[in-house]
Amino acid sequence: MNFYAPFCLPFIVGAAVMFAVVAGKWSVWLWRLPRADKLRIARGLPSAATLRATGEVIGESLLHRRIFRIDPLLGYMHMSLAFGWFLLIAVGWAETIAHLGLRFVPLQGHVFFKYFATGLPHKPFFDLVMDLLLLFVLSGVALAWGKRFCSKALGMRRTTRHVVGDRIALSALWFIFPARLVAESTTCALYGGGGFLTGTLGTWMHDHISVMALMNLETAAWWIYSSALGLFFVAMPFSRYMHIFTEVPLIFLRHYRLQSGEKESSYDRFQVEACSRCGICIDPCQLQSVLGVDDVQSVYFLRDRRYGMLRREVADNCLMCGRCVEKCPVNIDLNTLRLNSRDAMHNVPDERRYDYFRGLDRSQGAGKVGYFAGCMTLLTPRTLTAMERIFTAAGDEVWWADREGGVCCGRPLKLAGETDSARRMMRYNTELFRKHGITTLVTSCPICLKVFREDYDLDGIEVLHHSEYILRLLETRRLTPDRRTTRYTYHDPCELGRGSGIYEAPRTVIEAVGELLEPAATRENAPCCGSSVANTAISDTQQLQIARTVTAELEDTGAEVVVTACPLCKKALGRGTTRPVADLAEIVAESLN
Amino acid sequence: MKKTIIIGSGVAGMQTALCLAERGIEPLIIEKESEPGGKLRGWHVLFPSFTPAEEVLGELRHRVREQGIEVMTNAEAVGLTPQSVTLADGRQLTGDAVVLTSGFTLFDARIKEEYGYGIYDNVFTSADIERMMAEGRVTKADGTAPQRIAFLHCVGSRDEKVCQQHCSRVCCITGVKQAMEMKRLFPGAEVFNFYMDIRMFGPGYEEMYREAQQRCNIHFVRGRISEAAPTLDGRVQIKAEDTLTGRPLRMSVDMLVLLVGMRANDDNASLAASAGLKQAPSGFLEPRDLFLRSTESSTEGIFYAGTVTAPKNIGETLAEASATADAVAKFLEK
Repeated sequence: MNFYAPFCLPFIVGAAVMFAVVAGKWSVWLWRLPRADKLRIARGLPSAATLRATGEVIGESLLHRRIFRIDPLLGYMHMSLAFGWFLLIAVGWAETIAHLGLRFVPLQGHVFFKYFATGLPHKPFFDLVMDLLLLFVLSGVALAWGKRFCSKALGMRRTTRHVVGDRIALSALWFIFPARLVAESTTCALYGGGGFLTGTLGTWMHDHISVMALMNLETAAWWIYSSALGLFFVAMPFSRYMHIFTEVPLIFLRHYRLQSGEKESSYDRFQVEACSRCGICIDPCQLQSVLGVDDVQSVYFLRDRRYGMLRREVADNCLMCGRCVEKCPVNIDLNTLRLNSRDAMHNVPDERRYDYFRGLDRSQGAGKVGYFAGCMTLLTPRTLTAMERIFTAAGDEVWWADREGGVCCGRPLKLAGETDSARRMMRYNTELFRKHGITTLVTSCPICLKVFREDYDLDGIEVLHHSEYILRLLETRRLTPDRRTTRYTYHDPCELGRGSGIYEAPRTVIEAVGELLEPAATRENAPCCGSSVANTAISDTQQLQIARTVTAELEDTGAEVVVTACPLCKKALGRGTTRPVADLAEIVAESLN
Repeated sequence: MKKTIIIGSGVAGMQTALCLAERGIEPLIIEKESEPGGKLRGWHVLFPSFTPAEEVLGELRHRVREQGIEVMTNAEAVGLTPQSVTLADGRQLTGDAVVLTSGFTLFDARIKEEYGYGIYDNVFTSADIERMMAEGRVTKADGTAPQRIAFLHCVGSRDEKVCQQHCSRVCCITGVKQAMEMKRLFPGAEVFNFYMDIRMFGPGYEEMYREAQQRCNIHFVRGRISEAAPTLDGRVQIKAEDTLTGRPLRMSVDMLVLLVGMRANDDNASLAASAGLKQAPSGFLEPRDLFLRSTESSTEGIFYAGTVTAPKNIGETLAEASATADAVAKFLEK
């Protein structure tokens, strides 16, 4: 049997280009990985990580389970296209084998099997299954068309604005399966066979269209089908559809513990090109929903970075609240990628700026428990005095790291991309903590907490947020505040909640001194207060606009006092509401007798 | 006889009422506090002449009484139209025109938590100092005399962080005035003024500023205080930057005085909404025209006088109130 017809040419060329480009890209990215990452891959390959990664590839790249959690219909759309197409290919191969046994069949022979198999006896089972699968994929295509006109029905308020390359690939993709339906149906009309879909349509065509016209239509339909495939394949590695293949190695590399860091690395390419530009990150972004800023969201950031057209205005305009990270179906490490882009743009260390470090130690007291207020707590001294009362009541001797002034934890500079300067501060503080021999480090600032836990080398020193520290005091009955009838509501700070995974401790503490009322969006879904130090692009007025939407939700709970556990959030919320805003430490200190 | 309702019995309200009465128009003043007088009540002396505030306020009060002008106290306006004012208790007053002279709201210094007002002893506002001076007893929290005093300008003015972008105008000269009074009360004390700009816009102000520096030896440091902290002996430690020398600076003071600014009146939003009045982004009410119709609101029959439209000093307020009465009279003649 000869598996060649002229219409196969666009497909063959397209597939060849696609495989060559994808293979080329991956080889370069893998080759450029640092040695340590290559070792991780070598160690991971023969381990259980490979099995786990395979499981995740099936769950995510084919079934798209994470999208189902966002919206079932949206999940179905992605699954029918990915899993449906995969099954069409897999069952198609099985069909070829069933007909011809195990022998070499060129790629186009599998893909256009219906065209070449007209002389073979019919296998109704495969006709039925292949038609079912085609219908499955077509239902996804129909939903994708529908999503263009009414994205809300699929749980998305806004969708991505696409670049030209994406539009070409998208249009080609939309034509592939309808073209396949028509092509297979005309072949069935001429030669019989086919299942409930192609067979029925073919019979109808046979009855209504002349044989000459059908023959012309058959050639045209197969040409269109092959051209749509070819066009899609050529566009694929240069468009958002690169994610189809890139998500697979990304999942494996992630299981081998490769990570993006504060400096750009080759591994980032896998993350950047694994973005499908589905646009799920747009809706959670408050810059979009509150301020109407619609060109800085993660999808656009990754797009601009991928094509080498990233501007500072886009890289810097992000609260890094992590709301989009929670929703990303590909689990891309969006914040880290943005950080290392900022590093590439802003990291200009100036050694002279840090001369003041010398002989700066103004710490006070001696104790195994160290307290680091941080710049923002020094600007919200009610929190500081409340912590002092709590330490006294608990009987802990405290070493005050920075009450009389100190060096910043480094996170604001790190977030701004001035990584090397941030490292200088981190080194200074680490030495300071070590010199004074503390074993516990308490901070009331989640921004400091995150950098202490993730970037400092503090082996032997336990780092606690004050919510955790207070909770521990309550549990060991070293602190016994009165429970009153005050109704509180709690705002989750980004760096504490999504950033450090601390949701329970502050809530338990609040419930120990009063009643806790949860706002509509809370925990992983909590909004950002708007004053994030990570955003150097928006104005005070815009920060306030965001704060007002957040405080409106908090006020709707009917609580008398708004509680938070971050000095920056406290300042931000305070200017958005007339209700009292208090730090967790304040309400505990007030309840001490 | 035509009747005009005046909301607020501060200097603007009383002056408008007096000028209207002179033209044979019957004014009715409503005041939400239990006593008339507005913000000037409890103020000690006025810049730049050190005239006792009571001299001005007392005279206005006396003339209002003499003219038999009705002042309704404990009456809070919650809504208005050009012909009526609704009170919080539900009563409705009717008239032929309404003048809004409800003034400003003093910036709450506790919002600038980093300065420690309401947290540490010995942090005061300019309003506290004025009250203490009027009561004739200015001391630290423990009752002793201060040795070193720092004034901080622009607390709640020209500060985007607390959503107050405007300049309150009068705090600069108030800072100079209070610093000179402090120096007079405590000749041995060191007095500092921390400022970002000194705006001496009125007659005699610049001369007073010069006198404060040359004769009274008051120190002016260009730089805002970034934060304040308590010391063990009950003083206040402040951190600032002297931006003229480019050096960070820290010092302990016995008293920190925050020169709090004028915020748009908290009631402006609801009143504006009830009568369709235009509110500027700053929260102050916007006159129909800044130049030729600066005492009229965007709604025919509703007029403004005083700080309901922008920060003003006493002299400007009194002059504007006369102009407002003039505009009201012309409107009622029509």
